[in-house]
Amino acid sequence: METKSVQKDKNFFQKLLAHPGFRSFAAALACILIGLLIGYIVLLIINPSHAGEGMSTILKNFMTRNSEKLRLKSLGNTLVKTAPLLLCSLSILFAYKAGLFNIGAAGQYVLGAGAALYCALALNMPWYVCLLAAVLAGAVFGAISGALKAYLNVNEVISCIMLNWISLYTVNSVLKDFCPVGYKDTFTLVSKNPSAMLPTLGLDGIFGNSSVTIAIPISILIAVAIWIILTKTKFGYEIKATGYNRNAAKYCGMREKQNIILTMVIAGSLAGLAAALLFLSDFSQWDINQSSVPTMGFNGIAASFLGGLHPLGAIFSAYFIQHITDGGASLDTRFYPVQIADLISAIIIYLCGFVLFIKLKMLKASGGIPQKRPDMEADIKHDAENKKGGDK
Amino acid sequence: MQQIMLLIQYTLVYASVLTLVALGGCYSERSGVINIGLEGIMVMGALGGALVLGCISPDLPGIVIFLAAVLAAIVFGMLFSLLLGVAAINFKADQTLAGTAMNMLGLALATVIVKALNIAASGGSNNSAEIAYTATREKLLLAQGTEFSMFMILTAIILAAAYVLLYKTRFGLRLMACGEHPQAANSVGISVAKMRYAGVLISGALGGIGGLVYITAGVSKANFEVGVAGFGFLALAVMIFGQWKPHRIVLAALLFGVFRALANVNNGFDFLTALNLPQPVYNMLPYIISLIVLAFTSKNSHAPKAEGIPYDKSTR
Amino acid sequence: MELKTSVGSEAKQNASEYAIEMLNITKRFPGIVANDNITLRLKKGEIHALLGENGAGKSTLMSVLFGLYQPEEGVIKKDGKEVKINDPNDANALGIGMVHQHFKLVEIFSVLDNIILGVEPNTAGFLKKQEAREKVVALSERYGLRIDPDAKIADITVGMQQRTEILKMLYRDNEILIFDEPTAVLTPQEIDELMQIMRNLAAEGKSILFISHKLNEILAVADRCTVLRKGKYIGTVDIKGTTKEELSRMMVGRDVEFVVPKKESTPGEVLFKAENLSVASKAHKGLAVKNVSFEVRAGEIVCIAGIDGNGQTELVYGITGLEPLESGKLFMAGRDKNGKDIPLSEITHLPIRKRSKLGMSHIPEDRHKHGLVLDYSLEYNFILQTYFEPRFTSGAGFLKTKAIREYADGLIEQFDVRSGQGAITTTRSMSGGNQQKAIIAREVDKRPKLLVAVQPARGLDVGAIEGVHRRLIEQRDAGNAVLLISLELDEVMNLSDRILVMYEGEIVGQPDPKTTTVQELGLYMAGAKREKNGEAN
Repeated sequence: METKSVQKDKNFFQKLLAHPGFRSFAAALACILIGLLIGYIVLLIINPSHAGEGMSTILKNFMTRNSEKLRLKSLGNTLVKTAPLLLCSLSILFAYKAGLFNIGAAGQYVLGAGAALYCALALNMPWYVCLLAAVLAGAVFGAISGALKAYLNVNEVISCIMLNWISLYTVNSVLKDFCPVGYKDTFTLVSKNPSAMLPTLGLDGIFGNSSVTIAIPISILIAVAIWIILTKTKFGYEIKATGYNRNAAKYCGMREKQNIILTMVIAGSLAGLAAALLFLSDFSQWDINQSSVPTMGFNGIAASFLGGLHPLGAIFSAYFIQHITDGGASLDTRFYPVQIADLISAIIIYLCGFVLFIKLKMLKASGGIPQKRPDMEADIKHDAENKKGGDK
Repeated sequence: MQQIMLLIQYTLVYASVLTLVALGGCYSERSGVINIGLEGIMVMGALGGALVLGCISPDLPGIVIFLAAVLAAIVFGMLFSLLLGVAAINFKADQTLAGTAMNMLGLALATVIVKALNIAASGGSNNSAEIAYTATREKLLLAQGTEFSMFMILTAIILAAAYVLLYKTRFGLRLMACGEHPQAANSVGISVAKMRYAGVLISGALGGIGGLVYITAGVSKANFEVGVAGFGFLALAVMIFGQWKPHRIVLAALLFGVFRALANVNNGFDFLTALNLPQPVYNMLPYIISLIVLAFTSKNSHAPKAEGIPYDKSTR
Repeated sequence: MELKTSVGSEAKQNASEYAIEMLNITKRFPGIVANDNITLRLKKGEIHALLGENGAGKSTLMSVLFGLYQPEEGVIKKDGKEVKINDPNDANALGIGMVHQHFKLVEIFSVLDNIILGVEPNTAGFLKKQEAREKVVALSERYGLRIDPDAKIADITVGMQQRTEILKMLYRDNEILIFDEPTAVLTPQEIDELMQIMRNLAAEGKSILFISHKLNEILAVADRCTVLRKGKYIGTVDIKGTTKEELSRMMVGRDVEFVVPKKESTPGEVLFKAENLSVASKAHKGLAVKNVSFEVRAGEIVCIAGIDGNGQTELVYGITGLEPLESGKLFMAGRDKNGKDIPLSEITHLPIRKRSKLGMSHIPEDRHKHGLVLDYSLEYNFILQTYFEPRFTSGAGFLKTKAIREYADGLIEQFDVRSGQGAITTTRSMSGGNQQKAIIAREVDKRPKLLVAVQPARGLDVGAIEGVHRRLIEQRDAGNAVLLISLELDEVMNLSDRILVMYEGEIVGQPDPKTTTVQELGLYMAGAKREKNGEAN
């Protein structure tokens, strides 16, 4: 359908398509639309009579609330969870720029949550100490994956998954002594250690929601900072060079092994911080009986790819993912499983795999096809092999 | 003594799961496609098998129930693995990303389907993600009260078949050529895309069966919100430890199986009770062991050379 | 199979003089005409050379013959009958086979498995290897192609790998054999052997197409030669009536100076010294470089000659710091950050970055693997070795965008690096020659004391090669040390002030470039000759 409109005003659309930013945006939009469409079809299959209503619940999220006050409060809830999601997606995209797939953000997040809550509930520490502990905990797990990759050539995806499970069991058993008798959730901070709660700077008042804290501005500032680091600094130059071509990074004397570890340390810190921002907002408590790794870290993958692997794009994509997840949670459980939102997220991630292909098609439509010569394609393949050939 | 028997039983059950799924990963990677999505494939295979076990009449002969469940697991697993095939082979997508998405998708899809069925069946009151199959599961056991089941025999057959297929047949030779040097394979007229689809589909079938075996291991109901607890990834570690060779994969699977089984039966051993390790340590053990094993084996691993690299015909 | 028999029987009726004719082939890509009205006619039983520089359109023409590309214009005839070739399977069915420049062999497979791959004898899918082995052994004896059918490709010599490729074609009963730059990886003696094999094959009635840019080999083995230049057909000549000069003029379009003029060298102090160097192999357990010692002085080009895979790559990795040494010591004279000279001192344990700062430059063997970040812009690639210097990075760690742009524009101008959008061009989109120019610009602009240049002219056309050679001689004449690693005998003979021949990780001879011959070099390179004292100096 889009091709038709292109024909009408060819020049304008060609110009638009020639812009890489627009291509990223359009590709993301395509992923979202297809994802939502499939989600709608699933709703139709499960229960056709409530499908329209279900879809609008997912898409409207807080806008379905009755009063202005409740809407604002509900928006606040979504934002509280957007902040950690944004940080998880930054963690993943930062590592991805260095050629690493940090699926361990989920586990680093778990460990960060454990560290923050342990400091808050067991050691009665103030919020900034808890925050720092979470960052350090995430960093350590990141460092383990990074070191295994750099020195022992262990595929980071598999090591990360193992660490995800290890962190889940560890945190479950460490926090089990800090639950009210008979409950599976840890104590609220308000009841045990209010000093561990993040400052609100009056944001709680604006949203009428005590969980809205500095977590939200912090996460946005960090997104900007990551953007600056990646595009403007020497460190970002090194990270990206390592990600594009690790052999060349080594050739020109970058300490590519240390850079891999450092990248994973930063990625781990971001994921650890993500957990601290959520749990130190006292928005939710740790469930010591949970038997699978929280999805926050995995949804971060969706947010980072949907945002075109751009730190500022991630701000919007993280909000979108959280928006539909919360919308999905308010589905009427008499008719629909709430996991439909997870399903839509997963479909969107899957479709993100096709983004490169979609972008290439758009580039062709813009008339800006790069000259396709046999020797150039050989380069591409060669390069792919090098990336994979890694550090040997 | 009884505890040792139990340990052996559980070891064999988990080793069966890991062998099947790791063989699946082996076939996919030997054809050149990295299959991170095994976890999701297992969940979908488990769903297919669980639906059959949950619906089929327990009065039927055990072998019929068995074959129907396995067939369903294979079909579900293969259909789901097509997602990887399409993304990796036709669209040259990032295979890690596609696989990760499949893991999330498998879990979400299975949960949604089971919940929707439960909601529909109960008129909205039951929205759990569980399927129970106590009676039918018993028919699959070779000896009641044990964990020895028809699946172990199937695993042995599949293992032997996988070995022969890979090393003794035209198909195996061509499959390996596509994973090592697709340009070479294509230059002698082999369709790399077809062989890779074959590899991915075989991994779907084996991963699907593996998922079915997992959800019948010592339990008679499956909760799809939990999935398969990282077994798909443990299988990848088994595959790497087994150096992508079927006969070594089974040994690696047995090793991992022991550690996973200990999580179930550790309290019966005096020397383990004396150590007084908390249960979470046993739960973590398979993952810790696999990390250590990977650390020692990855440096000199002989992964198929072209795995993970999309094959482009024009790059010959 | 059916197709082949039918074509074969018709061939007898037609009895055309030509095995394959490619008539008026035109193939366009966006922005370029890769093949412009090209005609190539291969007679039965002849050895026909296809000559042209890189980018002349040889590989596109072969891709058309193999059905990888469909030409916009022109027809292909087999035995006088028009045929349509849609994919490589069609080409195989017509009896066309090719030994690719980069072998299409599966390394973990045995020689036998590689030969039968794609046409495996089988019963119900199960391999019948005994039958295959008998046929392969018979073929190898008939054509004098020595192979070990059970050896793994990874373990055998390049020469045997090539014979495996030839057997692949013969096993398929191919009648038209294409050799794509087959001599690049062989010793002069192995080249002679290959030439003899080609003559045998032609005598047995096979038609051979020999793609090359090496004039001597064409003159030695071919019956006729077709020349392409910049996608255009220049002509077809009988080898008997032509000369090297005529062929080169047809190929390049102008007279070529085969030798870049240079003055006598005046070696000064020792700037680099390697003592008893040993480096582990990447391919096998054991040493790739064994106890090698030599030195390079100011104002001389020292060339390490040898066949690919005799330890040169590892030697360079050891010298530049890409891989650790097993044993031995390295010394280098350099300069500190203020430009003050530092006398010869040990650098054995210095990391790559420190060696670079001291004044070592490295033009790497593989420009895509090491030399460039292909997804970076040209300007980012120019600062790959110097981005951390205060002129490009501020104290706070921010890149100085403006300074980087100015620097890049300067190098582009000075070294004539051509690209679509100047400094911001993605390097991936540049031609191989300009990518190499960019690397040379970057490495030479560092004003190195020691320039390690590994096959710096690899894959470049004749004009570009001249330019690269001039740069190396300039470096020498400026009083710096140049260590050249080359596989090309012409390059070795033309540029070297001293030659060290490497064989199986050792330096086996130091023939004087003024008096040595290609034959003598070849004997050293093949390990057939060795000086008593293998050590340099």
